[in-house]
Amino acid sequence: MFTYNNLMPKITDKVKPQSTIREIERLHSVIPSCPEIVDFAGCSAKNNSSNLIGKQEKLNFVIIGKSGKQVSDLIAISVKVKMIGTVEAGFPSPAEEELVDNISFDDLLIQNREATFLLRVSGDSMTGAGIMQGDMVIVDKGLTPKSGDIVIAQVDGEWTMKFLRTRGDNVTLTPANPKYQPIKPKNELKIAGVVTAVVRKYK
Amino acid sequence: MDNQPITISSFPQAILHLDADAFFASCEQAIHPEYKGKPVITGKERGIVAAASYEAKARGVQRGMRLFEVKKVCPDAVILPSDYETYSLFSIRMFEILRRFSPDVEEYSIDEAFVDLTGLRRSFHGSYESIAEKMRKTIETELGITVSGGVSLSKVLAKIASKHKKPNGLTIISGREIHLFLDKLPVEKVWGIGANTSAFLKKYGILTALQFAKREEGWISRYLSKPYREIWHELNGRSVYSVVTETKSSYQSISKAKTFTPASKDETFVFAQLSKNLENACIKARKYRLAATRLIIFLRQQDFMSSGVEIKLSKPSAYPIELFELLRKGFQQIFDAKTLYRQTGVVLSGMVAENGIQYTLFDDTTKIEKMSKIYSSLDKISEKYGKHTIQHGASLPAKLQAQHEGERGDVPQRKNTLFKGENKRQRLGLPFLHIKI
Repeated sequence: MFTYNNLMPKITDKVKPQSTIREIERLHSVIPSCPEIVDFAGCSAKNNSSNLIGKQEKLNFVIIGKSGKQVSDLIAISVKVKMIGTVEAGFPSPAEEELVDNISFDDLLIQNREATFLLRVSGDSMTGAGIMQGDMVIVDKGLTPKSGDIVIAQVDGEWTMKFLRTRGDNVTLTPANPKYQPIKPKNELKIAGVVTAVVRKYK
Repeated sequence: MDNQPITISSFPQAILHLDADAFFASCEQAIHPEYKGKPVITGKERGIVAAASYEAKARGVQRGMRLFEVKKVCPDAVILPSDYETYSLFSIRMFEILRRFSPDVEEYSIDEAFVDLTGLRRSFHGSYESIAEKMRKTIETELGITVSGGVSLSKVLAKIASKHKKPNGLTIISGREIHLFLDKLPVEKVWGIGANTSAFLKKYGILTALQFAKREEGWISRYLSKPYREIWHELNGRSVYSVVTETKSSYQSISKAKTFTPASKDETFVFAQLSKNLENACIKARKYRLAATRLIIFLRQQDFMSSGVEIKLSKPSAYPIELFELLRKGFQQIFDAKTLYRQTGVVLSGMVAENGIQYTLFDDTTKIEKMSKIYSSLDKISEKYGKHTIQHGASLPAKLQAQHEGERGDVPQRKNTLFKGENKRQRLGLPFLHIKI
C-alpha cells in the first residue's frame, strides 16, 4: 500500500529523466505524488475529478519529462490517479482534495473539444512524419493554420493531408514521403483543419 | 394606427433563438464534404424522409415523403441512414459553443437553442447583432454547419425573427420594428397558435400577428385561455417565457419507439421489436432511478393507422421481466396477423421514484431483491461492454433486423469504420470525418 504525504521533500531535483516510478521508489524510498509527477514532467495542471488506478499500474509508468532543455522533448504522459489510503474511502479523503494537478489523455489530446474531429489515414504521403496508413489523426477545425502545420486540405477539389508551407504569398503543400511531389494549388485551397496528434494502438 | 410601433424601448431584454439549418442533413454534409451542395436526405432505414438539405428542398423534397417519391422528384438525391450518434455529438457541441458566450443557454430541442443575451453588450463591446453573428460564425467554422438566428425582446418574437431569413441568416427585431414584422405575418405562423385557434381568431377579423397583438387585453383574457394570453404579451415585447437553463433531472414519462422497413406481419418479429422498446424504456427509467405505474403499447400499420392499449401496473416497475406477461397480453389484444406493421412503441408513464416504492404483504420481497440484483448487474455490464450486451430472449429476433439493415446499407457508415479498441456498440465520442487522405 502507498500513502500520500504532501510533506515529503520535493524529489524532482534528484530524479533522472526517463525514470520509471518503480526506480524512483527503489532509489528514494518514496513514490512521487501526482502533483510532483506533473511538476517534473512540465505539464500544465488541470482541475479534474480522478479515476482509480492500482498501485501496480502506477509503478510501471515511465516519466519522460519535458522541462527545460535537459530532458528529451517527448510529451510527458501522466494519467489521472486517485490515491487510495489503507481503506477505500466512500467519502472524499483529504488526499482527493489535493489532487488538482492531473491531466487525462482526453486533456492531452483534445484542446478545443467542440472543434475536434477524427480521421483515418488511408494514404502514405506522410509516413516520414510518423503518420502511417490506418492511423487515426486528431483534427482541430478551430485552429488557424500556420506554416509548418500538418493540415487537411482540399486542393482544386482533391482532399489531402500535407505540411502547409507558406513563404509570403506562396503556398505549398509538402508531403513527408519521397514518393510524392509537393503540391502548389492552382485555383483554390480550402483547409478543413489542423492535425494536432496521431494515435496508433497496438493492443 | 398600424404604423405605430408597439414599443419604443429597443431591447429591455434580448433573447436569441438559434435554429440549425436542415440539421441532420447538414451534419452529414459536414462529415461527408463530397455531399456539400448536393441534395441529401436522411431516414433511409425508416423508408421516409427524416431531414432534407436545402438543395433537396429546392427540388421539392419534403419531410415525411416516402423514399420512392423522392426518387421521382429528385433521382440524384443522396439517401443516407440516420446517424444519431453524429447528430447528438454535433448538437452537444453546438450548445457548448453557445455557452462560451453566455451561461443562459436553453436546449430547446436537438437543433434549437434560446440564449439570453441581455446585458452582454458591455462585455462583448458590441451590439446584440454582432454577438449573435459571432456565435453563428464560430459554429460554422468549428462544426461545419450553418445556423439561422433571430434576436428580439421575447422568445416568441425571437422565433419569428429566426424564421425570417433562412438558411444561414440573422434577423434582429428591436422594439421599434416589431409592428413591421408582425404586420406581414399570418397569425397561424406564430409559435403556439395552431390551425384551430387561428380559425377562431379569423371569425373576429384577426388575420395577422399584428392584429392579434394590437387587440386590447380585455378581449384577449375574455376569449382566450392562459397560453394565448402569454403569447399575446410576448408578441407585444413583454417577455413571459424566460430562458430555462436547467437540464432534465427527471421524466414524467419515457417513450421508446422504432420504425422498421420493410413492414412486417410476422408476430414473433413484431413482438421482438416491441420487447426491445420495453427493454430500452426500462433501461432509461432505471438510469434515472424511476419506476412506471402505467404502460402504454402501440403498433403502427403500414398505412400509418395506429392501435394501442394502456395497462395499469399493480405495482411500480422498471424490470422488463415483470412486465413481459402484460406486454404479451396487450400485444395479443391489438395485433392483427393480417396487417403489415411498420413501427412499435412503448410508453412508461406515471413515473415514481424507485426507492419510494412501498411493497405490500403479498409481494415476494426475496424475488424482488433478486430481480433488483440481476438488473443492477445487467446495467453494470452494459456500462462496461455496451448497451444490449445482454438481452431478454423475446427481443432477440430484432437482432435479425439489425443484421438485415446492415446488409442493406441502412446502418450509418461510422458503425463500420471502427478504430482499434472500438466496437459496434462503443466508440469514441468524437465525430468522424469521412475524407479519404
